[in-house]
Amino acid sequence: MSGNEAVARGCLEAGVSVVTAYPGTPATNVVEALGEVAPELGFWAEFSVNEAVAIEVAAGAAFSGVRAMMATKMLGVNLIADALTVVTVTGVRAGLVIVTADDPQQFSSQNAEDTRFYGMLAKAPVLEPADGQEAKDMAKYAFELSEQLELPVFLRITPRICHSSFPVELGELTKPKRDGKFVKDKKRFVMISTYSRPRQKLLREKMERAKLINDGNRWNKVMDFQNGKQFPKGAVFNTFGIIASGLTYPYVEEVIEVMGLSARVLKLATTFPLPENLIGSFIRELDQVMIVEEGDNVTEMQVRALAQHRRLSARIIGKDDNILPWSGELNPDLVGDALGKVFGIKFREELTEPYVEAEKLITPRIPTLCAGCPHRASYFAIKEAIKKKGKGGSVMGDRGCYNQGAYEPLEGMDTCICMGASIAMASGVFHSGSAEPSLAVIGDGTFYHAGIPSLLSAVHNRANITVLIFDNSITAMTGHQVNPGSGQNLMGLPAPFTNLKKVVEALGVEHVKVINSFDTKALVAAVMEEVDFDGPSVLISRSPCALVVERNLRKRKLKMPVAVVDVDKCTGCKVCMKKIGCPAFGWSQDPKPHMEVLPHCNGCGLCMQTCPFNAISIPGKKEGVLGMTIRKEVPK
Amino acid sequence: MNIVLAGVGGNGVVLTTRIIAEAALKEGTDVRVGEVHGLAQRGGTVVSHLRIGPDAKGVLVPQRKGDMLLAFEPLEALRQLKLLKKGAKVILNNEPFVSVDSHLGLSKYPDVCLIIERIQATQDLVDVDATHLAIKAGSVIMTNVVMLGTLSASNELPISRDSLLAAIKARVPQHMVEANFKAFELGEKAFRDWQAAKVCEPHPDLSN
Repeated sequence: MSGNEAVARGCLEAGVSVVTAYPGTPATNVVEALGEVAPELGFWAEFSVNEAVAIEVAAGAAFSGVRAMMATKMLGVNLIADALTVVTVTGVRAGLVIVTADDPQQFSSQNAEDTRFYGMLAKAPVLEPADGQEAKDMAKYAFELSEQLELPVFLRITPRICHSSFPVELGELTKPKRDGKFVKDKKRFVMISTYSRPRQKLLREKMERAKLINDGNRWNKVMDFQNGKQFPKGAVFNTFGIIASGLTYPYVEEVIEVMGLSARVLKLATTFPLPENLIGSFIRELDQVMIVEEGDNVTEMQVRALAQHRRLSARIIGKDDNILPWSGELNPDLVGDALGKVFGIKFREELTEPYVEAEKLITPRIPTLCAGCPHRASYFAIKEAIKKKGKGGSVMGDRGCYNQGAYEPLEGMDTCICMGASIAMASGVFHSGSAEPSLAVIGDGTFYHAGIPSLLSAVHNRANITVLIFDNSITAMTGHQVNPGSGQNLMGLPAPFTNLKKVVEALGVEHVKVINSFDTKALVAAVMEEVDFDGPSVLISRSPCALVVERNLRKRKLKMPVAVVDVDKCTGCKVCMKKIGCPAFGWSQDPKPHMEVLPHCNGCGLCMQTCPFNAISIPGKKEGVLGMTIRKEVPK
Repeated sequence: MNIVLAGVGGNGVVLTTRIIAEAALKEGTDVRVGEVHGLAQRGGTVVSHLRIGPDAKGVLVPQRKGDMLLAFEPLEALRQLKLLKKGAKVILNNEPFVSVDSHLGLSKYPDVCLIIERIQATQDLVDVDATHLAIKAGSVIMTNVVMLGTLSASNELPISRDSLLAAIKARVPQHMVEANFKAFELGEKAFRDWQAAKVCEPHPDLSN
């Protein structure tokens, strides 16, 4: 099973009663897997509207005496910090586990932050599994540790755990508790300064206890290797040691075995707080210790401090000496390079000349908006409107699928910072005194997540901005998760349909319009008009996600009409490509250069509007239908 | 054994990896799989590492330690070449997928003929027209199953044909089983008919 599924399974074996999350790669399917079985097994699972809400719901449940889990990607931890740093002061009554998926390689994240700093900041223990089995077992154990210390506990995983598959031996499921009760205790849960201040001492004591518990953690293991063979600790003599945390351990093990190295290894599962006695005695017997960890030098800093504190003379090496890289994920080759510097060996097979020659041909492949994506149509309209208006303009962007519109040729958004930033940043551009129109684009999921307060603030502060909400009524980026606009919740239960237009109106926005994303004419006109309006205005550009429509049609064996190019009319001018850059455009030289429609065309029809020679048509599409549709001649 | 699978979002790299992994598990072999599919649905690069047998420690195949590459697209094959041992088998779908930025002239999609030549310089390459064979079998969606057929016929995998077919059957909709088996057989036939001496004719510039 995948690492994410293993974590979900561990939670079930722990009898988790409340599960919350906001979708974020690579952690999304931890909770998706749980949402599917929640109704049957009798626990609660939800996608909350954002991570701050998710942690508060989970903490409320843990305050009420039932086990709760909250899952997020590492950027979501920034949002939970507000609650978390106080919940560690109150402590919890039942296990509260935060599963955080860090993304050191930035496969799909704006930064590469290391969650362990939040563990240190809030004083919440951090566990790191090395494989799928440990992911499952540690998820279960995390609840026990959380209850032992009455503290929230982080389970830190990375894409190489989340999206990898491992053989995992399963344990027994535990029945979830559904008898939560919040027992009042104001000196513990009302964290006004009078009550909070005295509890800091308790938190300090908990950290000291956590260190001792971690000394005996069953996944912290010390072993000796001699010429690549593994021995129990002390069976052979070593002066060089390695501390390998989480999933870097298998890399270390592989390099040692393949290269026949000798070293004492501490496989570290508890990365905060460190098991100080265990690490102290580990380095006491060694001359040199290398710290192998993914992310920042969190363990390395602490081990250095510990060595100084305990007056140990072993030389500590790692990222600080640039022996291991500071950024990006680790892999066996990078670990091999680092150990190579110590042992003078070469683990990495060098690329010989023919490989180097082949590498030279490689070009990057930039992701795009999908064929038929309504965001492409929205960006196209915004661009046309700005061009027609002739006053310039900036488009503050947000976080979602529509980020793919930042690439050529659309170049439709000018910033991508964090969830909800678009509207507030557009307000900032306006208040800076900019003479150009200030626009913002944000998806529906992102708007519910973090856009509402910034829009309210824009209204309150009379920001003259034009906001486009790209509404496909689903959180598409992370793989089509439900949101308040979807009409159902994570457990598949019907949920109220949030009326986006009414929400916007209720915030005090006077100019609100809902427009079909593929109604380019109306959208262009509306953008041009609203840019002139003195005050905040909102255009809801609405159309379903092309992938969702396509899948639903395919399931029903229905066909979509697709675009056809008239080879005689097409001059090969590439205007269509330069205007909208659809991935369903191919190129053919036979019999003359012309655009060729590829099989994954979804027939949205946007390209027809771009062709100066009317060379593109969609046979079988009803007159006046905007966007994707089914074929006219479908039998009733 | 280290197997690398590479392609573009929508090629079915992840699904194919799981089919092989499930077939291997069924035969009682230890399997580890590492996948990267951050923007899989958006035309981005997709790679998975499949490690079969007791030597598999971590999920990642180190540089030039791969025993085989199953590539769904020529440029993506080239991108993962550095993971392969010299002489390791490459099974390639030779239908290129040119990205928007190449069409716009922002990057240059290399000549497929040249790509094949470069791969052949170090690897034992079998290229098949899996895309069109899949269309022949009923749908372009089954391109990955054609590739599985070719892979199976190559006898490079320590997994039986029956186990692969069973894993395919378990993964596809009931009404598509027959078509998928046909696609698999077309892939097998493509391996048998493949001519090592095939001369590659230079293609016209695909991105222009």
